[in-house]
Amino acid sequence: MTNRLETILCGVNMQNPVIAASGTFGFGDAYAAHFDPSRLGGISGKGLTLGGSVGNKGIRVWETPSGMLNSIGLENPGVAHFVKTECRRMRALGSAVICNLGGHSEVDYVEGARLLNDADMDILELNISCPNLKAGGMAFGMRAETAADITSKVKAVTRFPLFVKLTPNAGDIAGVARACEQAGADGLSLVNTFLGMAIDVEKRKAVFDNVYAGLSGPCIQPIALRMVHQVCRAVNIPVMGMGGIDDWQSALAFLMAGAAAVQIGAATFHDLLTMCDIIDGLQAYCEKEGLENISEIRGIV
Amino acid sequence: MPTIIENSLIAPDIYRMRVKGIAQGAPGQFFMLRTSRGMDPFLPRPISICDATAEETTFVYRTVGKGTALLSAMREGDALLCGLPLGNGFPLCEGKAVLIGGGLGVAPLLYLAKRLQQTGVYTYAYVGYSGEPFLQEEYQGAAGEFHPKQGGYITDDVDFSLPATYYACGPEPMLKAAAKKARAAGAKLHVSVESRMACGTGACLGCVLPTAHGNRRVCKDGPVFDATELYFEDTL
Repeated sequence: MTNRLETILCGVNMQNPVIAASGTFGFGDAYAAHFDPSRLGGISGKGLTLGGSVGNKGIRVWETPSGMLNSIGLENPGVAHFVKTECRRMRALGSAVICNLGGHSEVDYVEGARLLNDADMDILELNISCPNLKAGGMAFGMRAETAADITSKVKAVTRFPLFVKLTPNAGDIAGVARACEQAGADGLSLVNTFLGMAIDVEKRKAVFDNVYAGLSGPCIQPIALRMVHQVCRAVNIPVMGMGGIDDWQSALAFLMAGAAAVQIGAATFHDLLTMCDIIDGLQAYCEKEGLENISEIRGIV
Repeated sequence: MPTIIENSLIAPDIYRMRVKGIAQGAPGQFFMLRTSRGMDPFLPRPISICDATAEETTFVYRTVGKGTALLSAMREGDALLCGLPLGNGFPLCEGKAVLIGGGLGVAPLLYLAKRLQQTGVYTYAYVGYSGEPFLQEEYQGAAGEFHPKQGGYITDDVDFSLPATYYACGPEPMLKAAAKKARAAGAKLHVSVESRMACGTGACLGCVLPTAHGNRRVCKDGPVFDATELYFEDTL
């Protein structure tokens, strides 16, 4: 019997279009006691930086209505460690291996991508939401020019399909998307978290040491869906859609908006079996609707 | 399916919930309890195990916010969403043990006292309450000696020079006081700490603490740590 959920992303074969989002699934084995991670179409590992990072001090997670803020600060073991250790563990799980790379300078990204050529992985996902230290801390992904520039430089050195992960905080996300496509991106993933804030009113202080933090969860879903829809209409490269997806219906909505695959993040914290339920739900939907493959509904809205 | 068999008020704002149909965790482990099927509250709540057998598990918790208030409104027969036991748990010991509990920290230490009693370890339980006491009867049955205290600092009553293994769970100032005294006396002390958590499984790095050996995850590497690892030189 053919697999109705089979999804091919830039030549990478996945058993389904459901992918664990970066930063919410470690390097693939954190949930192994609870469900078999090889059920997933892919896993995007914890975001790496060239030399690694100890991450932020103070409170790092804060619950919000139907969502959460996080300010982890990209705590990670560094690219070299990933090449030696984590990518092998991820490969052994059987799902597509997506490596998420961030950086604070052009050198960070280019050197990181170059070192990752020695890793056993399938897709490079470029996190361009990190502050660019040379540009006063403004994220690379905030403007089309800076996003395109870093995209073309990484594309020139990497041997993997390159997905650029867009920030919803950019003024014109479709414009940034088009610029990344023109600069050579093989695909896009969106959206990263929305910049938010929490205040501890008793202490009369911002909750997070960095004051602002990234908002995710179902509360961002309609805005993320709109952005995925806009970007899918603006480019001709595959899109991994994400932003508050929490059940098979919302996953289906992102596919109907034009995404080729979906990533699930915060919803796994709410219910760690969310991704399994989404895979089962999409499978049942294809059978009920008589779809040979889930891609038949892609972009129909 | 995990089902609630009791959820009753045992002291002001303190509830005891007994659940059947869940895996038996070890002393010091916890569950992430979902308090609602909806999306608000979004995250489950980490609640430590107060007692467990193969048949049932007991949680004792305090209502502090929206999530625990919803938890307290659940009734006998309701299904509870809770997954598997999480965290490392207390390392067991031989000989003698001293348990130091404050506030809700008395809950996980009770399960430890019961487990140690089964293995023939003699326990001294020092338990501090800021309000109305709870779990006293259970401690009297499980500990060799039970020293409850209302108000004040429970760590002032503890002799750290005994040939024993020390365990502490409670508010951070109490844990730090215990760590200081244990270090001065050269005593082995295990502390169980609390943290805000999102995933509970070690994935999100939302609950890490700086330790002598770098960042450690409370949910996965803890919640029980060697006191000298957590409260090193400059942090006491």
